[in-house]
Amino acid sequence: MAASGEADQPREVEFEQPNISSDSDQGDFNESEAPGKSENAPLLASDSFDDLSYNDLGVNDHQTVHRGTIHAIVRQTSTSSDSRSNTPNNVDHDSLEVSAGEESLEESAESQMQNVSIADKQEAVELAAPPFSSDDEDVNSPEWKNQKKHVFILSESGKPVYSRHGNEDKLVTIMGVMQALVSFVQDSKDSLRSVVAGEHKFVFLVRDHLLLVGVTRGMDSTQQMLLQLMYVYNQVISVLTHSALGKIFKQRRNYDLRRLLTGAEKFFDNLLNLIDTEPGLLLTAVRCLPLDSQVRDVIAQSIVQNAKVKDLVFALIIAKNQLVTLVRMKKYYLHPMDLHLIINLVNASESFKEAESWTPICLPKFDASGFLQAHVSYLDEDCQVCLLLLSVDRDSFFTLSEAKDRIRARLVRYNALSAINSSLRRTSYSTQQCAISDLRHFLYKARSTAQYTSPELEAPYTKPEEQERLFGLYHYLHHRIHTSGRPLKILFHVGQYETLLGWVTQGFELYAVFGPLITKTGAIHAVNRLLRWIKREEDRLFILNSVTF
Amino acid sequence: MAGSKVDAKVVLLGKSYAGKTSLVERYLKNRFLGDSVPYQNTIGAAYGAKTVTVNGKSIIIGIWDTAGSERYEAMSRIYYRGARAAILCYDLTDKSSFDRIRFWIGELRQHEENCKIYLCGTKYDLVEEDPERRAVSTSNAKSLALDCMAELYETSSKTGKDIDKLFTRIATDYMKDKAAAEQREKDAFTVKETGRKLPCPCSS
Repeated sequence: MAASGEADQPREVEFEQPNISSDSDQGDFNESEAPGKSENAPLLASDSFDDLSYNDLGVNDHQTVHRGTIHAIVRQTSTSSDSRSNTPNNVDHDSLEVSAGEESLEESAESQMQNVSIADKQEAVELAAPPFSSDDEDVNSPEWKNQKKHVFILSESGKPVYSRHGNEDKLVTIMGVMQALVSFVQDSKDSLRSVVAGEHKFVFLVRDHLLLVGVTRGMDSTQQMLLQLMYVYNQVISVLTHSALGKIFKQRRNYDLRRLLTGAEKFFDNLLNLIDTEPGLLLTAVRCLPLDSQVRDVIAQSIVQNAKVKDLVFALIIAKNQLVTLVRMKKYYLHPMDLHLIINLVNASESFKEAESWTPICLPKFDASGFLQAHVSYLDEDCQVCLLLLSVDRDSFFTLSEAKDRIRARLVRYNALSAINSSLRRTSYSTQQCAISDLRHFLYKARSTAQYTSPELEAPYTKPEEQERLFGLYHYLHHRIHTSGRPLKILFHVGQYETLLGWVTQGFELYAVFGPLITKTGAIHAVNRLLRWIKREEDRLFILNSVTF
Repeated sequence: MAGSKVDAKVVLLGKSYAGKTSLVERYLKNRFLGDSVPYQNTIGAAYGAKTVTVNGKSIIIGIWDTAGSERYEAMSRIYYRGARAAILCYDLTDKSSFDRIRFWIGELRQHEENCKIYLCGTKYDLVEEDPERRAVSTSNAKSLALDCMAELYETSSKTGKDIDKLFTRIATDYMKDKAAAEQREKDAFTVKETGRKLPCPCSS
């Protein structure tokens, strides 16, 4: 793997202050006009990455795991109809209290020390693994060892729950070692965060009842790995709810969670593949399907007019992992992480293509303690355009099914469905359309709307290895900019095969990849022009208006 | 469930990989994909409807194909509430799937007394091909069926064996019950409220 030319001492210029505009002769780009900016966004502005320092992980589950939202909606609506006897989500809210507590700064500093000392003991870690017997082929096979990224989930007592590669049953010993490492450090009132051994990075995330371990030899930084493990943990919650997870392990500490997760393995597999290929999960932002804003309005209005159903919280259309439209209940927002779990649910399930479905789904950021019911159906013959109606009312299937028929009819009448399909058939857009020479690819995230845009992958990034390498560069650039100790606003990085420019402001994050020969001023001119191009296209690339029921 | 135009609600229950989705697929779309498409577990529940004609009357049956995974069991009431018929599926080649049937019988007896139970052994084609593979004997299944006053069918979604028979039976049973209920209604006394209401003694 060619690593961004780190070996030959890349030239890097770091700016602590954004002094870009002074160099520009093309007219300054006004930051307050950040493309894709909106006061009225359908998604919650993503808070995730910058806040994802160790400090708010670990103990403070209650901060990221919201509870009670579903209950609130039900209470609010049930006053009008007292016929409803029970709450729609079957998990009871009061059964579980998560211990609150803030990790002090000193503690976190201490733990960082721990981090270093563990890293020195890398040899010991490898020795600690007991010799494997012959039927542990999985772990000893070079194929398994050579996997680029491993992700393991185990219970607090060290029982295997999931492994990305290989059979968990054969990994009992290795998971035992992981559990031992974590609890050894916990014994001294500390927490194990990461271990670096050779080219491998081991990252540990301890959440309520589960221990997640990620192992990578790619470009992912520790913090990025943590974010990925958070996604995986949220996927568990999405399937079971946080309350149910707590209840299960309260009853039996050494419960084999795989029993409840049968059939959900594909969600984890698919999620991890998405993480490795879809920049949105790195940016905690969502890509929208490019559509004329009038068409998007028609779609949103079709939903609003035909799905005025009590207790319907979110209605959204997803096509090929892209958001087409989102209509929400007033007061309630969808978090991009939750939306990624919804996209993952649709992406991983073939069974939705056969028939209308009615399935429980928990959105951890929305309310980790209960389920929403999702009416899932495809609107077109080819099963590309998926409509999801998420309600807190478990009995509204037929109401929603009728709403779906009406929505579909209206979308057909106004040619909106065909507009979606033709946008899907067209490739999104080419870098050349931006008319900026030497720009190869970019990721642009509008922070206030938690949406991002990027062009198609074109030469030289046509082969999977090349795409993987490009993705590695983005990870590197993203990591350098967001390093918790020294966050940067602008980074200009000259590598062996390409030059990178990252620029982060209040309004946006831009990661651009140029040919290797571009100069610093050239790159700065280019991104200013790029921002203006995105600004011109923003109506098509982003959803700037939030529609409510 | 509210808003349903369906006459009879039918729910399929049983362990995952018992063949519930294939059974519905055969009945609704008359096709079998099990040989060409890899196994896909159902997420939540899938819904399908079909109009059938019994004795010249057409009725719509709505079929809920539920997911077999254990985590859905706690929520299965959403799907079987108000069902007129439950098809409890077990894999003829998998004893554990048959053992699970008792759980469902218990659930239904407790929450849905009016739901008729139909036992359905699936994958008959496998057993026919190689009788050694049979893990649930017909006599065992029959005695369980007797216990819970259920009908027993051994079906194959691959060949289509007995599947139409099963659903036709459900439809005729439904019509019979309905006719019986209507008859009862006719025969029953109708109590009409007549005369003025007496003032409430304590309100004066």
